Amino acid sequence: MKALLAFVSLAFVSLAIFSVSAHAATQAEAEAAVADAKRAEAAAAQYNNRWVPAEAALAAAEKAIAAQAWDEAVAQATKARAMGLRAVEQSKEQETAWHDAVIR
Amino acid sequence: MLIACFLGGAAPAPVSSTDTPTADQKAFQDFFKSRFPQVSIADFANGPYAVDAGMRKQWEEIMQFPPYDFALDEGRTAFGTKFANGKSYADCFANGGVGVRQDFPYFDTKTGEVVTLDLAINRCREANGEKPLPYQTGMMASITAYMAETSRGKPFDIKIPDDPRARAAYESGKQFFYSRRGQLNFSCASCHVGAAGERMRADILAPAMGILAAFPIYRSDWGSMGTIDRRFTTCSAQMRSVPLPPQEVAYRDLEYFLSYMSNGVPISGPGTRP
Repeated sequence: MKALLAFVSLAFVSLAIFSVSAHAATQAEAEAAVADAKRAEAAAAQYNNRWVPAEAALAAAEKAIAAQAWDEAVAQATKARAMGLRAVEQSKEQETAWHDAVIR
Repeated sequence: MLIACFLGGAAPAPVSSTDTPTADQKAFQDFFKSRFPQVSIADFANGPYAVDAGMRKQWEEIMQFPPYDFALDEGRTAFGTKFANGKSYADCFANGGVGVRQDFPYFDTKTGEVVTLDLAINRCREANGEKPLPYQTGMMASITAYMAETSRGKPFDIKIPDDPRARAAYESGKQFFYSRRGQLNFSCASCHVGAAGERMRADILAPAMGILAAFPIYRSDWGSMGTIDRRFTTCSAQMRSVPLPPQEVAYRDLEYFLSYMSNGVPISGPGTRP
């Protein structure tokens, strides 16, 4: 009985993991991811600090949307968003940190 | 060396914090004079060739047939050619545009902005009914090459007028110069202060002092002439930061700061770089 219970639990866990990893992104998810990435890039642009690879990833995400490759679009948009947010973080940090580099 | 750039290189230790443009300039120039005691102030105009004997030797050989000569000839001719309305570039500049490069960029207290030589050239064209030139290469580089050549040997003489807007522009340029940006987390200072004179792959990094004195330049890497805008945009891209449009306020302020830091270094443009 104990062994059966363990087997059933393992089966459920495996099924859950498989379901998550096999989940294909939908068009709505891809478009939402691209919109998020665009917001992050717009925020970086406010600081004159867009990163080249972030722009490239965003362009790749939009290209994937056009090709209806939703998984690829989500992957690229997620990358672009992460870099956009990091660029904003960098700019905020540099608002004061640059003083430390000044030759005095 | 890349690591040194990432870490800000051999950043100088703060010794005072008066932070006025005059104090900044003195500290800046003292730093480079102490870092490169064998280099005269005039030789800082020659960038990497001032600090690396091997490169200097190659440069001296290149200069037997300067690669910017074609651009210089083209610029001289264009400068002397009248616009459709009968006026010319000479009508737009003090002293007919001859020997004035060292006074640019300047802060225009009427418009409240930094005016670079390149911007002044295009404003001259537009005021006379001509289309503006693209900023990064081509005819703009040729005309600025000619104008720089008429100023050779004249030291940078950039002024910061007693106007809070001028001071703000200077501070903005200073902040841009020292701020890290882009995916590689570099600032201009990372390479041209802390790592100046060191190698970045095959290149020798030029000291920031006098770095604009040789512009426009024929750069072997480009295979053509390029203006200060071209250099700023390619530097930005190398840091994996999306370049700003040429003559954007931030770039003009940066040029203002760098040129003021280089007061006393003679104009040597047009120049050549690897």
